[in-house]
Amino acid sequence: MKRSKAWDAVFLGPSLLALTLVVILPFFQGIIYSLTNWNGVRTDVTFVGFANYREMFQSVDFLYSFLITLLYTAINVVLVNVVAFLLALLVTSQVKGRNLYRAAFFVPNLIGGIVLGYTWQFMFNVFFTSVTAQLGLGATSMITSRDTVILGMSIVNTWQYAGYIMLIFVAGIQSTPVEVMEAATVDGAGYFRRVTRVLIPMIANAFTVSLFLTIVNSFKMFDLNVALTNGGPSARFMGQVVNSSQLLTLTIYNKSITTKELAKGQAMSVVLFIVLVVFSLIQVTLGKRREVEA
Amino acid sequence: MATPLNPLPERVKTDKADENGPAGVRLPPSAETTNRQGGKHAQTAVPHPGRPVHPGPGRRPRFAEIELTLYNNKVEISEALQNFAKLYSDKTEGVTVKVESVGGGADYSGNLTAKHTADQLPDLFVIEGDGDYGLWKDYVTDLSGEKWNEETTLAYKDPEGKVVGFPVAIEGFGLGYNVELLKKAGVDPAELTTYSKLEEAFKKIDGMKAELGIDSVLSMAASVSGGTWWVAGHHNFSVYLGGGLEFTDTSVADKFNKGEVEEERLNDYAKYVKLLFDYSDQTVLATGTYDNQLAAFANQKAVFIHQGNWIDPSLKAMNVAFEYDYISHPFNDKQEFKGLYLFAPSFYVINNKISPEKAQAAKDFLSFLVYSEEGADYMVNQAGMVPAFKNVTLQPSGGFSKALVRANAAGGNYGVYFGKLPAGTGQSKLAPIFDVFAQDHSDEGVTFLVADLTKLAQELAAQQ
Amino acid sequence: MTVKAMNPAASGPKKGPRRLNRFLLEALAVLLVLLVLSPFVIVFFNASKTYDQITLSPAAPPTDLGNLWENITAVFNDPVTDLLGAFIDSALITAVSLVVIIFFSSMAAWVLVRNRSRFSRFAFVLFVAAMVIPFQVVMYPLVYFLKGIGDTLGFRMLGTVHGITFAYLGFGCSLSIFIFHGFIKGIPLALEESATIDGYSQPGIFFKVVLPLLTPTVMTVAILNGIWIWNDYLLPLLVVGGSEVQTIPLAVTTFAGA
Repeated sequence: MKRSKAWDAVFLGPSLLALTLVVILPFFQGIIYSLTNWNGVRTDVTFVGFANYREMFQSVDFLYSFLITLLYTAINVVLVNVVAFLLALLVTSQVKGRNLYRAAFFVPNLIGGIVLGYTWQFMFNVFFTSVTAQLGLGATSMITSRDTVILGMSIVNTWQYAGYIMLIFVAGIQSTPVEVMEAATVDGAGYFRRVTRVLIPMIANAFTVSLFLTIVNSFKMFDLNVALTNGGPSARFMGQVVNSSQLLTLTIYNKSITTKELAKGQAMSVVLFIVLVVFSLIQVTLGKRREVEA
Repeated sequence: MATPLNPLPERVKTDKADENGPAGVRLPPSAETTNRQGGKHAQTAVPHPGRPVHPGPGRRPRFAEIELTLYNNKVEISEALQNFAKLYSDKTEGVTVKVESVGGGADYSGNLTAKHTADQLPDLFVIEGDGDYGLWKDYVTDLSGEKWNEETTLAYKDPEGKVVGFPVAIEGFGLGYNVELLKKAGVDPAELTTYSKLEEAFKKIDGMKAELGIDSVLSMAASVSGGTWWVAGHHNFSVYLGGGLEFTDTSVADKFNKGEVEEERLNDYAKYVKLLFDYSDQTVLATGTYDNQLAAFANQKAVFIHQGNWIDPSLKAMNVAFEYDYISHPFNDKQEFKGLYLFAPSFYVINNKISPEKAQAAKDFLSFLVYSEEGADYMVNQAGMVPAFKNVTLQPSGGFSKALVRANAAGGNYGVYFGKLPAGTGQSKLAPIFDVFAQDHSDEGVTFLVADLTKLAQELAAQQ
Repeated sequence: MTVKAMNPAASGPKKGPRRLNRFLLEALAVLLVLLVLSPFVIVFFNASKTYDQITLSPAAPPTDLGNLWENITAVFNDPVTDLLGAFIDSALITAVSLVVIIFFSSMAAWVLVRNRSRFSRFAFVLFVAAMVIPFQVVMYPLVYFLKGIGDTLGFRMLGTVHGITFAYLGFGCSLSIFIFHGFIKGIPLALEESATIDGYSQPGIFFKVVLPLLTPTVMTVAILNGIWIWNDYLLPLLVVGGSEVQTIPLAVTTFAGA
């Protein structure tokens, strides 16, 4: 069957054009910016080579932001996946009203980052503290103490995101053949065994997807960061004051827009990209190896 | 670009350059064009009310009237300003003023940059000092010839002495206090002019908390996440930069930018901040929002408050009925501190890339603010500001504003110079320093504070 | 679409302990749902309180639901922020972008599946790889690009609905093409071949044969993209921020802190 190249071009064209203009070209443009000293407004721009990169690796707040983002990603990936998986198990079990529960768990995902952040800021700072104060447990909010702020952010993100990941697991669980499960039961495997030894390996593909999505999502976290904590509270790290919950994207935004050092911000985002690519490649490759053919 | 709706008119020689084009060749004055992005301005040399303008993409057709955009950065006055703009638009034929405001926590500077990138820099916008001027200096208009310059000394001047910024208001602060509560505590505000006396008073009031029905002596906030970092990072830091000096003495600020700190002064200042932080409500201090900080004072849960006169309208909205006033910030014992901190923090500038007609309309709008009754009423009564122009004799009604007017008349006040720091320093560098100190303001914390500020000065010097 | 009534792992003994397990499970599920939905309840409470009620007694239920109406009208009538306009703009942008994304992504995915040339394989890899590029890396250059398009072609992109739609197509097509690609692979080629024999043109095959079969996928793609676009903050901030076009997340920030 001969395909008309002209039609193919027409069909493929708009998306490819949009992708190139909106993502690909700006990406390369961004790399070029990172090698200059542009600040977003000035007209006298000079080429500075890798100076921005060097400065970045030596700056304490970038280092801190990077590490804290890694920590947040680690915590968040575990929390989201575990919660989502458990919810998926619940929602595919024999409980009545599972459709209702499934919808209910997904609803938080409809709330956008900014609104989410402000709502939960209220929850943490005002609501929870007044409840704990009445119970005599003190009144420190989780997001104003540097030790718990990252966990606090992760809790909010889990609340919002787990429902979404849960759906991925549900799709995976529903596509596993019943026979394998029944065989396991006949062989005398208890519930826990069945889930861990049989079910999880069979939906390994779903895990690959969910891990990829959660890692990428955690690394790129911005809206929630701004609205919930705005980077605060401040803390001391390596002898310098830093904003203890300022993830990478917020640092980049501050560098680019608040202090108008656009080129440096751009350099940071290039590094963010490279790290993300490396992580994703490793994760997807490892994941693909473990997948089981149905 | 010629379109069926907008045929290209022929070009005309001229030797004046303005926004219609460079000197040499440009379009005849009668041509109606919209710029290539379908921008807002109808570039007519003579406004013709009644002659329709071809609509740009996605906008409604209008008659050839001028629409001025004003981007406001003070959320407290946004409603008042909006009403005033409507009043002016109704009153003035052919001109509409459209006001856009930014919210309390949002980033005015970031949004302004985004507008600039989108080629939508407003006709009138706000700069806040040298840092902002450095960014926008290619976009401001010379206002030296305006009449209102005779009424004020606070207009913003560029390095060559040309006036480019219209002072929006005089603002200022001191250490605010509740007159009734202070009297009840048996403390005379007139005595609180040195550090030791203030410390004594704080200790006394702290011991009387139950009697006075308060939670803490002072309502102070310095929280990054609460969005109150500027209270400490900008205003309180100005005590170090300008307290006790002559009104126009910027030496400390200039030295700071060059990497130098005056050690003794800095140490005194740090001790003073510790005093303030020690006697504050700790929750409000470390996590409080603007509302939290004001509420503590308004509900009479704190005797003192560290805020500026711009909170007058908010206090009124909170039904505050008690009398309140300012004392100075006595941060050491080396002199008596009686002055308040006065400054014009924001300046309206006129975008110099707009048409001469629009620029003139903008200038007229500013003049109207200064010279008309409605302008005075808006500035003083509606917006609760203290105007920077001596011809406006209307007295403000808010307690803090009244204190500023008195101080202004009395003299001996101090300048506020956080605007001399590079753009964004307050938000990105000073904010965390004070936030950390708010969490730990022990003696060790004081050492850190001094060290952090010293290091910051060196950082700023390296950046120059 | 209901959840199939089987978690294969949940088969076990039929009576006694199973009934207890079932009950506990139900109870747990209900508890979790309440927990998950509680922030919404709090928000509803807050919307029905006055300012001092919120600060003084945050945990108490509201006393006067009349406040809810007052607060809502205050927010919509706020002279500074045009929430209604932002609502309309958000709805418009989301709807238009969804249509554009679904339309063009499905078409592109179809070509990528059926056209087995080297170029098409390269294009597919490009689309997938682009998913990894974080928005922050391209956000600023993108704004200047869109401005450049406006400058050179005279066709303004920034601050317009079509401009931001184009940006959303660029960002959204990767994931959408990825999803469509997987599903189109499952449609037998024989179906299309018989359509050719029946005399359908190439676009005809797509629109009349393939697209109807993709309906459930279209729903998925629509939901995924719709939620993200509706709630998006950073892209609108940069592309339409401060212009006449506003989205809800942008409008909301003018309320916070004030």
